[in-house]
Amino acid sequence: MMLADFHVHSNFSDGKLTIPAVIDLYGQRGFGAIAITDHVGESRTVIGKAAGHLGLCLTPATFPLYLEILKSEAERAWDQYRMVVIPGVELSKNSISNHRSAHILALGVSEYLSADGDVAEIAQAIREHGAVSIAAHPVDSGKFEKQTYHLWNRRNELENAFDAWEVASGDRLFPEVLQSRLPKIASSDLHIARHMTSWKTILECERHPEAILDAIRKQEVQFRFYRDKNYEQSHLHHRRDIESLLEHQYLHPNSWNLGQYQA
Amino acid sequence: MDSDLEENLKSFFQLDYPSYEILFSLANHEDPAYAIVKKLLESHPQVAAKLIVSPVVLGPNPKVNNMVRAYEQANNDLILISDSNIRVTSDYLKRFSKQMKDKRVGMITAVILGYQAKGIGGQLEAIFLNTFYTRWMRVLFFVGRPCVVGKSMMFRRSVARRFGGMNALARYLAEDYMAGEAIRRLGLKVVLAEEPVKQYIGNLKLSDFWARHIRWGRIRKSQVFLAFLAEPFLGSVLSGVLGAISFYSLINTSIILFFVFHMLFWFLLDLPLLLKSENPKFSTLVWGWFLREFLALPLWLNIAVGNSVNWRGRKLYLQPGGLLATEV
Repeated sequence: MMLADFHVHSNFSDGKLTIPAVIDLYGQRGFGAIAITDHVGESRTVIGKAAGHLGLCLTPATFPLYLEILKSEAERAWDQYRMVVIPGVELSKNSISNHRSAHILALGVSEYLSADGDVAEIAQAIREHGAVSIAAHPVDSGKFEKQTYHLWNRRNELENAFDAWEVASGDRLFPEVLQSRLPKIASSDLHIARHMTSWKTILECERHPEAILDAIRKQEVQFRFYRDKNYEQSHLHHRRDIESLLEHQYLHPNSWNLGQYQA
Repeated sequence: MDSDLEENLKSFFQLDYPSYEILFSLANHEDPAYAIVKKLLESHPQVAAKLIVSPVVLGPNPKVNNMVRAYEQANNDLILISDSNIRVTSDYLKRFSKQMKDKRVGMITAVILGYQAKGIGGQLEAIFLNTFYTRWMRVLFFVGRPCVVGKSMMFRRSVARRFGGMNALARYLAEDYMAGEAIRRLGLKVVLAEEPVKQYIGNLKLSDFWARHIRWGRIRKSQVFLAFLAEPFLGSVLSGVLGAISFYSLINTSIILFFVFHMLFWFLLDLPLLLKSENPKFSTLVWGWFLREFLALPLWLNIAVGNSVNWRGRKLYLQPGGLLATEV
């Protein structure tokens, strides 16, 4: 059994931690796999261009360095912690309207992927690239931040376009996603160390990037709320959430107490 | 060929440092520097030095292609890259390596001072380096957005390996800036050397100055676009015009008088920097400073209307929003 987090940001976009600091943060806590998924903005919109100029997302110019650093740090993470680091991106389509905004995670990337075009085409391009596509925080995240409802509004049409939909992001579980038939995953959307106290995914597979991505595709996943004593958050809703997970069989009934994983 | 090349290169043989090696990188045997380097190697057998003429095409950056073999053959972890128009003092390596002892430091770069300038272009270049460039280089470091200038920079090869080393940098035209960016994103500090480094300018025409700044400016435009947009407001002329119009509108001051006093005040602020350099005459500093300030805006406009640069006989196209360059 390994703890995993597939939605993590670094200072290559709007995260505050460097990639080495992210590796140490997770490695020292015994995680088995993480994906670092910095934002890629659209190249044709004002918001996307501004984010690129302000260094808040990856660009075709910074992506090669990002990938090189991820590669060398993945080697270190394996040697030092036996932790798998998967290179990823969060393709971010941001509009003034929340209903036109969408964020899509691509896990296992080896080249720059564009955030331009329709979301169905983007999801297809991710799969053609051999990567896993995930609909990120598709419903109200309950936080004071940009919301992204576009994918959820088109969920019937896009049902088979994504390998998983985030059922939890940060410290919030999304009942709408949980109750749906969509494939699921839980992630922290970590930007700062305090976000460690959040939902995570548990996998039972070999510690190898392909085996991990396959486990997501096959939905061999469970979800846990991870409490880190160093990074407690003030508003937690996990008790009610754990009951929902038990009801929907995303926790084994005899291990419900593991729903809260104490670091 | 760079001005005073032999004297510049000779200064690297006279460094006061226990153990170091010098690796000279040339693109081909026809390079006029070849004979000079050979002569220096023969006259300084006590210094471990090598001449490497074996360019590799790793990417569109000719400087990286030129020095990659030397980089691969270097025996030490601590690497100092210096352009051939830099002349150093004997304590240069000691000062740089002292700052690198702090393990949080990933890279050292230096403020460049222009010396021994001749011709109109040369004077303008020296005045640009010793005022506008020096001032904003220090401001950028002060606000935590360091800008590495590859004319003189030191780093560890073991650190560079973490972002892909020279192979990763060859795709950028501003390999120095991107190396600094990679090191900063790794969480290491990029710091300024305690003392500036001298660049010997030599005899330059106005057209040389203009062409060089078109190249520099377009690289800046492609890599830090928002800062480039702000540049005209950081000079004396546009800020003076805007100030004169504003004060005229608010309290009815004379536009011309305000502008004249504004320019004189700005000149007086730059004067201590100008006097630190080795320029020959005060009158040269005065006309040179005013000419450069008035040329800054037309130069910026010329930079703004294009995306290609001429470098070492090649025309390179800077891709919008990024640093990738491809040959036209």
